[in-house]
Amino acid sequence: MIDVAMGTVFARRIAAAALILTLAVLSALTAHKTHKPFSPFAPDFRTQGPADAKVLMVEFSDFECPACRYAEKPLHDLLALYKGHIRFVFKHYPLRMHERARPAAIAAECAGRQGRFWEYHDRLYDRQEEWTNDKAEMMLAGYASDLKLDMDAWQACRRDPALPALLEAELRDGNNAWVGSTPTFFINGKRFVGFQQLRERGTLFVEKELKR
Amino acid sequence: MTRKEHAALASRLAVGAVLIYAGSSKAAGPVEEFAYILAAYDVLPKDFLLPAAAFLPWIELLLGWSLILGYQTRLAAAAAGALFAGFLAALASTILRGISLPNCGCFGESLHFTPAQAFFMDLCLLILCGFGFQMGHGPASLDSWSERGL
Repeated sequence: MIDVAMGTVFARRIAAAALILTLAVLSALTAHKTHKPFSPFAPDFRTQGPADAKVLMVEFSDFECPACRYAEKPLHDLLALYKGHIRFVFKHYPLRMHERARPAAIAAECAGRQGRFWEYHDRLYDRQEEWTNDKAEMMLAGYASDLKLDMDAWQACRRDPALPALLEAELRDGNNAWVGSTPTFFINGKRFVGFQQLRERGTLFVEKELKR
Repeated sequence: MTRKEHAALASRLAVGAVLIYAGSSKAAGPVEEFAYILAAYDVLPKDFLLPAAAFLPWIELLLGWSLILGYQTRLAAAAAGALFAGFLAALASTILRGISLPNCGCFGESLHFTPAQAFFMDLCLLILCGFGFQMGHGPASLDSWSERGL
């Protein structure tokens, strides 16, 4: 009689444990449903490397983010090491907490329309401490002038209503890919968050992808 | 059920709900993202970051559901309490070492708390776990349902 009762207790405990496990998996799956694919598309001036490269690397970045600046060195090293083998795409992901990241992204985009995106991009990161303050407007215009951009066209471009919409679309892409921190890199779809993950595991992963 | 048992049930449900929300937000998201936030705390060796980021959300989910449904209630309350004590220690160490965390990473990307807010929340949850542990399971629990087999 006691054995039967003990058996019932044991069976109920097992059933309860199975219920807990099932609910845990279901709650993670429910949350996972909000994960959508993202578009790796960006204008040509924000891409580097051959279109048919075996490795596609997409970076979601914010010009005002210090971690994105630190990532520049390992990123350049990686791209230089595998030059010709990687297609690199830069995507804007200006974080809400960085109030000057959007104007900077638009300024870089307008430099891109004059074929000078990468020079402007490098300058924004190299001199990040110089423009991430009240002098932003003056410094952004100064960099454009230093690069000998057509200033009238550059200023007109910054007023283009299509650009905020483009930033919103890229933010949506990032949100679909669950980008939460910048910089986030996707190498053939595999995620690397921050320069440390890129430096420590990125090269090995690219190597592995190239050998496939 | 006495008033104290109602309070214990409410504590269990509150802690369980927070753990389920935190665990599902992180378990559903990319493990690298959570590993990146764990790295910012600078309390775990590099090699443990990815396994910890993959493992921790599932612990939270299992403990959360155990508390809500009252399965192994005291054990779950003790384990959840230990988890919150660990979070408090990690947060305190970042504050003492002057490490600035952009957000606590408690809820993945769904909710951003500052370290101070997270510290206060974890402290409240630790107290609720202590109360839940002291009270054990009430009649509205899987533990009680299992024991009725005797």
